[in-house]
Amino acid sequence: MSKTMSKSHNVSEAESCIHGAANRSSRRSERRRADVEDPFGRALEYFSQVKAGTPVKGNDALENNLVLVERVALGRGLPPGAVATLLDFALSLRLGSSVCSRVLKFLIPASAVPQDSVVRGVSWFCMGKMPVSAQILFLRWILTMFDLIDSKDQLRSIYGFIFSFVTDEVLSPYVCHLLYLLTTKEHVQPFRVRKLLEVQAKMGRQPPLTQLLALYKVLCPEMIAISMPSKTRGGFKNHNLPWKTALAAVLKKNKTAEAPSPPLSLDIKEKASTRKRKLHHLEVPQLSCGPEIESSRGKAVHLQQLRSFAQLLQNLDNIELPAQMGSLLSSSLALHYLDCVHDESALLRLNFWLGSVLHEEFLFCSRDGNPENSTEPSQFLDICLSLPQECFSSSEFFLFKFLAMWDGSLHQPQILSLLSDIPPLPVSRMKMFLFEPLQQLYFTSSVFFKCGVIECLRSMLWKWLTWHFVQTSHKELDVSLSSSRTMNLHMSEFLELVTELVQYVGRLASAGLQLENYHILLHHQTLNFYELVCDVYLKFNLPLFLLPPSGVIFPSLLATDPVTVDRLGYVIFRYRQNLMSAKEHKQQKKEPSFHISRDVFREFNLLMVAVVSCLWISKDCQVDVGTDVHKALVPLRTMLSYCKNYNLIHHPAFLNYAIEFHQKCWPEQTNVDLSSIQGKKYWYWYLEFLFSQGFDGLKDFIQNNMDHQSTPVGGH
Amino acid sequence: MSTLKPFSKIPELNSANVLLVENEEQFQKKLADVIVNAEKDVSVGVRLARRLPLPVENEETRPCIDLVVFIINLSFERSFQSVELSLKYVDPGFFLGKVCFLVTGARCWSVSSDRLQSVRKLATSLRCPLLYAEDQTVEGVNTAAARLLRVLKVTAGLTPWATGLSLSTLTRCTLSSDLEGDFD
Amino acid sequence: MDETTRTVLQRVVRKVPATRLREVLRTWGRVPARQLDLLDFSTSKFVLFEDVRSLCEVNSNRLTLKHVCELEMIYFIGNPAQGVWRACHLTEPDDDVMTVELRQFKEQFKARLTELISNVSVKIKKHDDEAVWIRIAWGDHFHRPNQLKPTYVVHHLQTPYVFVYNLSTKHKPLLYQALVLATRHGSMKDSHLSGKSLTSIRDFLMRSYQQAFPTKYARPLQEKNTAPTNPNIEKEHAEQEEKRLQLACEAFGEGNVPRLETATYKLETRYRGSGNETLNNREEPFRALIKFSSANLLVSLNHCVSAGMAETPVTPLLSSITQKGKNYFVITDKGSGNSSQSMVQKK
Repeated sequence: MSKTMSKSHNVSEAESCIHGAANRSSRRSERRRADVEDPFGRALEYFSQVKAGTPVKGNDALENNLVLVERVALGRGLPPGAVATLLDFALSLRLGSSVCSRVLKFLIPASAVPQDSVVRGVSWFCMGKMPVSAQILFLRWILTMFDLIDSKDQLRSIYGFIFSFVTDEVLSPYVCHLLYLLTTKEHVQPFRVRKLLEVQAKMGRQPPLTQLLALYKVLCPEMIAISMPSKTRGGFKNHNLPWKTALAAVLKKNKTAEAPSPPLSLDIKEKASTRKRKLHHLEVPQLSCGPEIESSRGKAVHLQQLRSFAQLLQNLDNIELPAQMGSLLSSSLALHYLDCVHDESALLRLNFWLGSVLHEEFLFCSRDGNPENSTEPSQFLDICLSLPQECFSSSEFFLFKFLAMWDGSLHQPQILSLLSDIPPLPVSRMKMFLFEPLQQLYFTSSVFFKCGVIECLRSMLWKWLTWHFVQTSHKELDVSLSSSRTMNLHMSEFLELVTELVQYVGRLASAGLQLENYHILLHHQTLNFYELVCDVYLKFNLPLFLLPPSGVIFPSLLATDPVTVDRLGYVIFRYRQNLMSAKEHKQQKKEPSFHISRDVFREFNLLMVAVVSCLWISKDCQVDVGTDVHKALVPLRTMLSYCKNYNLIHHPAFLNYAIEFHQKCWPEQTNVDLSSIQGKKYWYWYLEFLFSQGFDGLKDFIQNNMDHQSTPVGGH
Repeated sequence: MSTLKPFSKIPELNSANVLLVENEEQFQKKLADVIVNAEKDVSVGVRLARRLPLPVENEETRPCIDLVVFIINLSFERSFQSVELSLKYVDPGFFLGKVCFLVTGARCWSVSSDRLQSVRKLATSLRCPLLYAEDQTVEGVNTAAARLLRVLKVTAGLTPWATGLSLSTLTRCTLSSDLEGDFD
Repeated sequence: MDETTRTVLQRVVRKVPATRLREVLRTWGRVPARQLDLLDFSTSKFVLFEDVRSLCEVNSNRLTLKHVCELEMIYFIGNPAQGVWRACHLTEPDDDVMTVELRQFKEQFKARLTELISNVSVKIKKHDDEAVWIRIAWGDHFHRPNQLKPTYVVHHLQTPYVFVYNLSTKHKPLLYQALVLATRHGSMKDSHLSGKSLTSIRDFLMRSYQQAFPTKYARPLQEKNTAPTNPNIEKEHAEQEEKRLQLACEAFGEGNVPRLETATYKLETRYRGSGNETLNNREEPFRALIKFSSANLLVSLNHCVSAGMAETPVTPLLSSITQKGKNYFVITDKGSGNSSQSMVQKK
């Protein structure tokens, strides 16, 4: 005891130094305290020795000691020994329950809570003499101080005792939370599962109970057959209210007093301003600094105790996760750790936390908040974006809900990039929750939003294709990189989904281009998308050939911007390469499963003919559209009759190149007759001239399509 | 007290008129200011009303209305009721692409999802678009105004290649089943 | 320093926000300013109290209860918005009512009150704005005055208004009688007006705020709508809106109106409809208590009416708040039809 006292004395001296010399009176009281030689120690002695049945009312000694201890506790926290003594005193109910709750309320540990004292407390708890309110207070105290308990092995070994309180209606939420924090795989037993299900049947689906069951299911999926809702509302509440501020103050004070070596600085950011908000707790909780004391067997290590990467590697198997999962978000080291240990339960907990925070903040915000200050929510979304675990099912659920009531501008960049993280889901669900609401937003919003949507869908498709590629090409590898989002779609479903997405973007793009009067940015964004789609076979080994609709092709073909035409050329060239190699592959392997519809080839040929006859054959182009005139081709037909003057010379996009070329060829001629370029020799020179201007897409397109028919330059 | 008709007046050149109907008369004022100041090319007129039918006295001065926007604040029960009553005084011709609903306060936690669902049902049954807006922030008001203006220019025939009906079919509200039950 | 003084001092230190404490202590003047500057006001109130106490003990060796009460009064006069103030009205003035002056009032009041009750401590202080502040700590025959729950009374000499804070019903007649005698009036009664802000209820009672009076002709628009509206924005219901606005201002004043927090209606009424016999033939009246509350009630009501949430014309039940200067009403059924049928919709 004297040792702890001298320590606390040192601390208080350091404090007064920090506060400066002004505080005369406090120093005087300090001196007075020293005069009476260790009243704190005597107070503790009193509490450890006081007999049961000592009167409480009018007991001045008790009152004085309580006040004394309370002041120390709220001032700089209690040393571990004091915590043990006081906890034992309070829970033994020697002086009644009112004193018990009073003591519990100021029981703020300075550094750590010895595990033994908690175990002793639980045994008092199990005796059943405590009134319910005191029981609840004690459980809440444990939950609050959970991170400060120096090790949990003994607590885990009395799991069964704690579990027996699950049936108590009042205590059940707290008990469930405590069990949730303690549960390891060995604890999940059939009889416990049965009990929980029984309780659930009796009391209904209460969130804490459901979450505990969900954890059980994660740990031992074979034992629990019932389906778990993937979303949660509510979850566990924070029980730290009575102690929150005092605890934070004490921890902060002790931290500055001891000035420890800087921890592995991985914090994403420092909180500049912490707003007080009633309903919202958006702040990512701080990784609270746990006790420095190693437990008896030197096992469990707290994540926040690690100082270096080498330490992390050494202790990889013994790391203890904090009680507040949200605090992991502030440390990228922790997140990477989670990723590599495949801890299902930890991910599940993080998922729950994220889900409830996102819900409370973005879907249930009260109207009388401070609406102008939107930087904090968007910062939070940025954190969500930076998670290595890409997309949690809870954030996905939140996104779908948010999308249904989005105005299209609130946190736009974050929401769009979060959307692109959505994993492949069944088509019907995708249509209902993503495509429909997004379409309603898309058509009423500005052209920049439209571009954003197309880009978001492009990056979504790209992610899906990459996954698919990794999954199919490395079958032997364990590719369930992050267990929270295993791709459990069949190949046919996946193909259907990709087809649906590409067609959806096709619809968006063609109608959007029309509405926006063929805005050049939207043009490029659309072609960007098709640059990904056209290479699906060669780059991602997916036998899928989806051509852009004519509402995209022809506006691009007739655009006034040469780069658009150039990119279209590149896209068509890549389609051709993909189709050719697919055809070759088919002929070589003769795989029956590998099937490309004839329609694709015919459609592509029609497209080729149309484009070639437009850019190349300037004369009246006759297009054989086949016997069955497809409805989609009607605009194509009517359009082709106007195509006469859209060859590379007269095309509005290339007109100034043609004039420049003409001036270079015949510098002396004043009246420009562009048709003179159509002479065979000049035509090729003109093409060379165009290629030299950097139209590589056009070059690829023309060189690959035209060499076998090198003479058909129309006109002459 | 008569129904509002879409074609009873001759439209003027390069002008568009929108009627904002809101029982609370708060959001509509903010919107109107932004809409009027945002558009420079065409003259945009905004008519503000609390509910329909509109007073007969103004019949003469009222121009041809190109778009009717019903603003529903989900925080107030009466807001929705008032819109339901007003809808009776709108000519069926308007529902061919010239009506849209604007909902505010959807993210408010005190709002029950039932109310939102009934608004969705209404919009779906009338085949009208349903827009969501953030009425508390300046940015939200600006966005909502810009979107309304975009729809208005289409319905007034000022956007080439597009009509109100075509836009309305692309954007009309669909009744998605409740996310809660369906997502599991 | 005795126990009571200590507790009262502790209470004051606890009650006064740390940011204001320095200012209040300085005004009090019992502690030298130099030493006040050394105090750390950011520490906990517990430590702060100890510091203040030791400073007091060092500097003024005989710090009595009187001094500490004065400290409390200083704070209270500066920040009267601590709780609910009630307004009272002195009636039946004597002929020499205008001759009452401060010293005479002080003596009279103290003498009258101590005649009525033995254990009472009274402290009177005159504030800058001609108001007399009285702090009364009540006791009785067997107990010393309870300094922790004092009653505050504010009275402007030569006016019939008295404002009372924290007065129990037990002491009400005593205070009333002492006041009536000291101010040379015949009697005193409750005005049925209460609110948190002393200045507001005073202004409200004295009607020193901007009021609108009913006119037959609508005022021209420019007078109110100073901000020019865009010619492209047209209000379909402009006329009705204008009318509502006018009515609302008539009923609840315009501009900066006094701040009232509540309006309470106590109803004892009968059902007078046809068809429902069980309701019609009841002996007992229906009792109900309707309470409107808001941070600024008059503004809220004004807004309710002008925004069309409450029906126009304004029901006399609401408009009588300003007309009668009350915010507590008892509505009883007098047999013949009275004005208790139509309640406005509650906001």
